[in-house]
Amino acid sequence: MVKMILIAIGAPLVAFAIGLSFMMIKRKIVARIQRRYGPTIIQPIYDVLKLLVKEDNISHGVIFSLGPIIAIAGSILAVFFIPMAGFSMLTGSGDLIALLYIMAIGSLGMALGAGDSANPNASIGISRALTLMFGYDLPLVIIVISVALQYHTTNLSDIVAAQANGNWTLWTLPLSAIVGFVVTYGALGEHPFDIVTAPHEVATGPMVEYGGKHLGFLMISHAFHIYIEIALFVDLFLGGASNILIFYLKMFAVFFIMIMFDEVLPRFKIDDAVRFYWKWPTVVALISLIIVLVK
Amino acid sequence: MNMSLELLLATPFIGGLLTYIGGKVHRWVRNIFAVLFSLLTLGEMSLFYNTTFKGDVWGSLFGSKLILQTNPITWLFLLIVTSISLLVIVFSVDDMKHEEDHIVLDSYYMQLLFVEGAMIGIVLAGDLITFFMFWEIMSWTSYFLIVHGGKKSMDAGYKYIIMSIIGAYAMFVAIAMIYSKAHSLVYPDVALVLSQSSPTFTIWIIILLGVGFFVKAAVMPLHTWLPDAHSEAPSPVSPLLSGVLIKMGAYGLFIIFYGLMSANLAKNIMPSIFSTPVLLYIVQWLAALSIVLATFLAIMQEDAKRLLAYSSISQIGYVVLGLATGTSLGVAGGLFHALNHAIFKSLLFLAVGAVIYRTGTRNLSDLGGLVKKMPFTFVALVVGIIALAGVPPLNGFVSKWMIYEALLQKKEVFLLIMAFVGSTGAFLYVYRLVHSIFLGQLSQKHENVKDVPILMQIPMWVLVIATVIYGIFPGLAMDVIVKGMKMFGFAPIAYNLYGFPQGSTMGALKVINIASVLMISFVVAWIFFLLFSKSRKVSQYDNYAAGQVVTPELKYNYSFGFYMSFGRVIKPIFKISIERIYNYWVDAAKIFGDYYMRRVYTGNLETYNSYIVIVVTIAAAAVLLGGKIW
Repeated sequence: MVKMILIAIGAPLVAFAIGLSFMMIKRKIVARIQRRYGPTIIQPIYDVLKLLVKEDNISHGVIFSLGPIIAIAGSILAVFFIPMAGFSMLTGSGDLIALLYIMAIGSLGMALGAGDSANPNASIGISRALTLMFGYDLPLVIIVISVALQYHTTNLSDIVAAQANGNWTLWTLPLSAIVGFVVTYGALGEHPFDIVTAPHEVATGPMVEYGGKHLGFLMISHAFHIYIEIALFVDLFLGGASNILIFYLKMFAVFFIMIMFDEVLPRFKIDDAVRFYWKWPTVVALISLIIVLVK
Repeated sequence: MNMSLELLLATPFIGGLLTYIGGKVHRWVRNIFAVLFSLLTLGEMSLFYNTTFKGDVWGSLFGSKLILQTNPITWLFLLIVTSISLLVIVFSVDDMKHEEDHIVLDSYYMQLLFVEGAMIGIVLAGDLITFFMFWEIMSWTSYFLIVHGGKKSMDAGYKYIIMSIIGAYAMFVAIAMIYSKAHSLVYPDVALVLSQSSPTFTIWIIILLGVGFFVKAAVMPLHTWLPDAHSEAPSPVSPLLSGVLIKMGAYGLFIIFYGLMSANLAKNIMPSIFSTPVLLYIVQWLAALSIVLATFLAIMQEDAKRLLAYSSISQIGYVVLGLATGTSLGVAGGLFHALNHAIFKSLLFLAVGAVIYRTGTRNLSDLGGLVKKMPFTFVALVVGIIALAGVPPLNGFVSKWMIYEALLQKKEVFLLIMAFVGSTGAFLYVYRLVHSIFLGQLSQKHENVKDVPILMQIPMWVLVIATVIYGIFPGLAMDVIVKGMKMFGFAPIAYNLYGFPQGSTMGALKVINIASVLMISFVVAWIFFLLFSKSRKVSQYDNYAAGQVVTPELKYNYSFGFYMSFGRVIKPIFKISIERIYNYWVDAAKIFGDYYMRRVYTGNLETYNSYIVIVVTIAAAAVLLGGKIW
C-alpha cells in the first residue's frame, strides 16, 4: 500500500523532473551548436517559477483556464500507463491501444482552452496541430500494430519484458524503429514540424493569449509531454529499462539525436508535413508490418 | 398465449392515433399524449426487459405464420429505440413550437410514434413478412418526418425514399425467392432452407437482403441519401434517424449474418480470407472504406448537421465492421458500438438542434463563442464529441477498443489501420464542431442568446449520464450482449463490470481506473492552479492582434475553411464522387425516357388509339386463325 502511494506520487514527479532536465539541457546544447554560451542551465526552472508567481493573470473564461489544467491532468494520467524503469504501474488497466487515446486527452483539453481565447492565431494553431497529428498518426498506428503483432500482446509491460537481454525491437524491427523515431520527433513539434507554434506565422499559435500562471502550467505540461513521447519510444523500441538511471540515459540518447536534427532543419508547410508523413514513413512502416506478418 | 409483445408493439401505434385526435382538442393534449405514450412504451419495455419470448403467433399470411419473438439482442435494440424516441418527443415539444400549422404538428407527432412502433416491430419480428411489413412502415413514416424540415428537405426526402424503395425491392425479391422454396418465412425455417439450398441461391439471398440493409445503414456506396436527409430533417428528427433508424440496417445485417445464416454455413459455401467468409470480408472492406472516406468528408463540411451526418456514416462503418468480423469480440464490439453511437450521436444532434433553436443557423462559420451564453449545451456537446472521438473514459472508446482488438487478433491489419485513421480523423471534425459553435469570438448578433428551456435540456442530461455510465461500466451492456450472443452460437468473452481482463483480448482494460486517475490528477492540478494568484477576466476584444485594436465590428475569428490546408492534401480523393456516378445513371435514364420512350408514349391520343387498333387487330387475327390468346 505504502509502495503504491509512493509510486502514485513519485512517478509524475520523476517524469516531470526528467522532462524539465531535457528542457534545460536542450537550451545549452542549442546554444553551443549556434556558438553561443547560452543561459545558465537552470534557466527553464526560473522561467516556470517566474510565470507561476506572476501577480497579474488574465483569463478569457472558464474553459480558457481549464485548458492548461486538463493538459496537466491528461499528462499525469498518461505517465501512469507507460512502464517506467521496471515499474509497470497501471499498464494492467489500459493497453497500448488505450494509451494512444489517453495521450490525446491532455492535448484535446489544451485545444479547448486555446479555442476559448477568441484569437484566430490560436485557432489556426489548433487546426495545424490536429492536422499534423492526423499526419503522423497513420505511420504511428502502423508501427504500433507491427509491435503488437511481433510480441502477440498489446500490454506494454509484456512488450518491455519480451525485449529483455538486449533483444530490442530496434534490432528485430529496425524499419519500424526508424519510423517510430520520425513520428516521436513530429509529435514533439521540433523543426521541421514546429508548424503548430510557428512564432513568425501565428504568434506561437495556441499559446498566443496565455500568460502568467497559465503559461507556466503549459510549460510544465510540455515537460510532461517530452517525457511521455520519448518514454513510449524507449519502451517500445529500446527495451525499456530495469532502473531509472539506464532509463534516463536511453531517453537522453534519443533526445540528443533529436536536438541534432532540430537545429539544422527549416519548417514544413502544414500540408507538406502531412504529405511527408503519408509518403515515406507510411511506406517504410508498411514494409516493416508486412515483414512481421510474413515472419 | 402471452399478449405482452403485442401490447408493446401496439402502444405506439394506438398512441400515435390518439395523439393525432388529441391535437384536434388542444395542442397541450397532443403534447402530453405524445410524451405519455412514448413513456408508456418505454415502461412496458422495461417491464418485460430481458425476458425471452420464444415466439408469439399474432396472425398468418399466405400460410406463413407471423411471429413476434425476443432474445437479449432484441432487448438491446428495443432499449435504443424506445428511450431515444421518448427523448426526441420530449425535445420536440419546445423545439417544434415555432411551427404555426397545427395540422402539420399533429401528424408530426403521430409519425414520430409510428416510426417508433415500426422499429419495435422490426426488432420483435420473428419472420420475414412481419419484418418486411414494419420495415416499409418505417421507411414511409420516416420519409414524412424528413420532409417536415422545410423546402430543401423535399429533395432530400425524395432521394431517401427512392433509395429505400430500391432496397425494399431487393429485399422483397429475396423474400419471394425464399418463400417459393420454403413456403414459410419464420426465421428457423428460412435458416434451414438456406442451409440446404445450393450455394448460389444462398449467396443471392444474402446479397439481395444485404442491399436493403446497406441502404438503410448507409454503408458506402449506398450512403448518398444520408447526408441530405439527416441534415435537412427537423432537429429532433435527426437524432432519431442517425441514432436509431440506421441501426435497423445494422440489426438486419446481424440477423442475416448470424440468425438466418450461421457462421459455419457461410464458411462452407464460400472461400475464406483471414478466416472470414469472402462475402463478409467484402462487407468489412466496404465498412472500412465508409469509415475513412466519410471521415474525410466530415472534416471538410461547413454545416454542423451535415458534418454530423457524415460522421454517422463513418461510425456506422465501425458497427458493420465489428459485426462482419465474425469473432465474439468483434461482433460484441459492433453491437455495443451500435448502442453507444445511438447515445452519443443523439446527444450531439440534440445539442446542435438546441443551438439552431436559439440562433437559427447551422452554418458553422456564422456561429462562435456561444460557450458563455449556452454553457449547458456546451457541456452536452463536449461530452458527445469526447465519446465520438473514442477518448476514454466515455462510452465510444470501449466499443471501438473492442473492434480494434478483434481485428488485431485476426491480423486484419489493413482494416485495422483504416479504423484507426477514421478515429483520429474524428478528432479533427469534432474539434471543428465545438470550436466553430462554442469557442472563438462571439458575434454581436448572438449577444442575447440564452440556454435552451428545461424541457430541451432534460433529454441532453439523460444522454450525458448514459454516455458516462456506459463508458465507465461497459459490463452493464456486455451482460446483455454476451447473453444474447450465446443464443446465436458465439463463444462467451471474458469481461467484468469495468472492462476486460487480459486473455480473450490482447491487453487488459479497466476503464474505472482510467476515469478515477484522471479525476484525481485533475483535482490535484486544479488545487495547484488555485495556489497562485487569481486571474483577472478580460473581454474577448482585449486580445492580441499585432498592435491592432479589436472592436466589436471587426470579425476576428478563424472558422471558415478550418482545415483548408488538409483539404489540399486529400483533394485527389474527392475527384471520385459516388453521387456523381448515380446522377450519371439518373441522367441516362432521363435521356432514355425523353428520347426513346417518348417515341412510344407520345402523349397523343391518336397514337394511343392506333396502338389499340393494332393490338385488337392482331388479337382478332390470332383468334380467327384458330389460335388462343391465353
